[in-house]
Amino acid sequence: MKLPLPPFMRTTTFRLAVVHALMFLFFTFGLLVYLFYSTAGYMRSESVRELDGEVQALAAAFNAGGMDRLNQSVIERSSVPGPFFYVLQDPTGQSVSGDFATIPDDLPDRGSRETNFSYQTLNRNGELETRSANGIIIRLPNQASLLVAYDLGTRTQIVNRITRTVWTALPIGLAMSLIGGLIISRSAARRAEQLTRTTDGVMSGDLSSRAPVVGSGDEFDRLSERMNAMLDRLEQLMLTTRHAGDAIAHDLRSPLTRLRNRLEADLRDGEKVNRAESIERTIEEVDAVLATFNAILSLSRVQAGNAARFQDIEVSELLSELAELYEPAAEEAGLEFSSEIEPGLLIEGDKSLIAQAVTNLLDNAIKYTPEGGAMTLRARKTRSDEVELSVTDTGPGIPEADRERAVRRFVRLEASRTQPGNGLGLAMVDAIARLHQGRFDLSEGPGTPPNIGLRAALTLPTEV
Amino acid sequence: MHILVIEDDQEMASFVQRVLSEAGHTVDTVHDGESGLNMARSMPVDLLIVDRMLPKKSGVDLVREFRDSGGNAPALFLSALGDVDHRVEGLQAGGDDYLTKPFAPSELAARVEALGRRGGSEAPITTLKVGDLEMNLLARTVTRGEEAIDLQPREFRLLEFLMRNAGQVVTRTMLLEKVWDYHFDPQTNVIDVHISRLRSKIDKEFDRPLLHTVRGAGYRLQA
Repeated sequence: MKLPLPPFMRTTTFRLAVVHALMFLFFTFGLLVYLFYSTAGYMRSESVRELDGEVQALAAAFNAGGMDRLNQSVIERSSVPGPFFYVLQDPTGQSVSGDFATIPDDLPDRGSRETNFSYQTLNRNGELETRSANGIIIRLPNQASLLVAYDLGTRTQIVNRITRTVWTALPIGLAMSLIGGLIISRSAARRAEQLTRTTDGVMSGDLSSRAPVVGSGDEFDRLSERMNAMLDRLEQLMLTTRHAGDAIAHDLRSPLTRLRNRLEADLRDGEKVNRAESIERTIEEVDAVLATFNAILSLSRVQAGNAARFQDIEVSELLSELAELYEPAAEEAGLEFSSEIEPGLLIEGDKSLIAQAVTNLLDNAIKYTPEGGAMTLRARKTRSDEVELSVTDTGPGIPEADRERAVRRFVRLEASRTQPGNGLGLAMVDAIARLHQGRFDLSEGPGTPPNIGLRAALTLPTEV
Repeated sequence: MHILVIEDDQEMASFVQRVLSEAGHTVDTVHDGESGLNMARSMPVDLLIVDRMLPKKSGVDLVREFRDSGGNAPALFLSALGDVDHRVEGLQAGGDDYLTKPFAPSELAARVEALGRRGGSEAPITTLKVGDLEMNLLARTVTRGEEAIDLQPREFRLLEFLMRNAGQVVTRTMLLEKVWDYHFDPQTNVIDVHISRLRSKIDKEFDRPLLHTVRGAGYRLQA
């Protein structure tokens, strides 16, 4: 049966923590094993060296003064406290001198042999203790035997301590790395849980819910920031849509209501109404509603960004054509029209949309500039290598406080209420600028108060 | 002209039929793409009017298949979608003109006339003549009576379009589309001003005006 794991145990971080703990265990174990063998090996070689030294010294005594001198040396050395043991036996096997009564191993017939044995002794607390020793048994030329041994007690103790340390340290290390892993994975799980809660909130319709950013700048913070930015954009889009919905309702409902009321009145008045005139007006009003509707659709398509056909546009040529198209109309309206178009400007964009944006600006300038004013169409390359298309006029302009509002959908400033229009012109220009990754700015024009004029500028990158 | 209207919206179809019948054309209507294509292939038709969105076969596919099977009658698309990419798609499929719904009856009638006329002589025309107004397309000169008229290049193209459609109404939208190649409606009367400038050049000093304003529809050049 598979037990359901607590959530934090199912996180990637927890798995990583476990893997890390196991790796820690493995490497620590290897390190300790290495430490153990190198220490033990060193101590072994050291004791072998010392044992050799003793044997050499005793051999020297034997060579110098035979059995007697050796016996004396053994007696002297046995009496000195230390880790060495000595036993000297005469050729008949009788112990002559030394620490033990006999040699605790078989004797070699000749030469020498190594030996390991254990013995019992009283320790410092007066208890009987079994200790092990390592030594060498030598058959002397006169058939006497000599044992020189080294007590392994110290060495064993150190080795034992190391072994104990290893076995104690390993579980502690393992436990600590697991606990660390758990803490880390718990916090990771908590952060992930917060993200999940945020998305749950959004899915249940609360668009204002945001993922917490703790300020550590880690991957969770970055993820949260991106997610929040995405939610901001979504919320803004939702608001725009909702706002557009309201605006559509408003902009289409009022003319439709007006139309309906007039038709009803005309119907009631019966014979008194000029039928042809009534129908003509009806058609005009319905056409206006349809035009607004189409403008809304086009604007939405541009804002959604899927209506564009990008290509290289010779802007200078396009603007010259537009200047030529509009100049007569401007002059007819009593405006002085001029154009300053730098030759050879190229941008990447949708020709029809760029033309539409500039047309909207030219239409506005003609519509709002009083007779006797002036308007100018300009195209130039900016210092930052962008192309700026601008229309300036000497009309009433737009007060600074209203400029941002003016480019929003359906916003019709007080001053323009009396003019025909659907309040989508500047919003369309703004949307077209954004579609081309450019911007649209309104600023003061070259006029003199009260007609300060308006400068509407479309700044577009040469490549999208 | 014998015109085949392929439009699934019954009311729109009968509206189109009425407008064109009043203009003196013979009109047949069908309401889906497949029977539309069959009819266009099986009988002599001078002009197709095709809705872009049709049941069974889209208008664009219909015109493409009609062209592939050798049909060369001009085709006019009707569509609620007025965007440039839709227009381009329609024209690439073999359509000759594109009209966005809703449209004024005069607009439809004017475009149908213009398309019907185009199907005529194949020989290249070098001179156009309306009354005593003459245009030489090679030398790019215009004279009225004995007098030479000096026109800007755009005015020349405007007059050329009017002369090619002489005797017929051309709408402002048609002028904007065919002479300037713009596919949107300016809110100012830019076209009217161009027409009045042209008029002052070709009509002002002459007794009989040639360039007439057709109220509520557009303009007509007529001797």
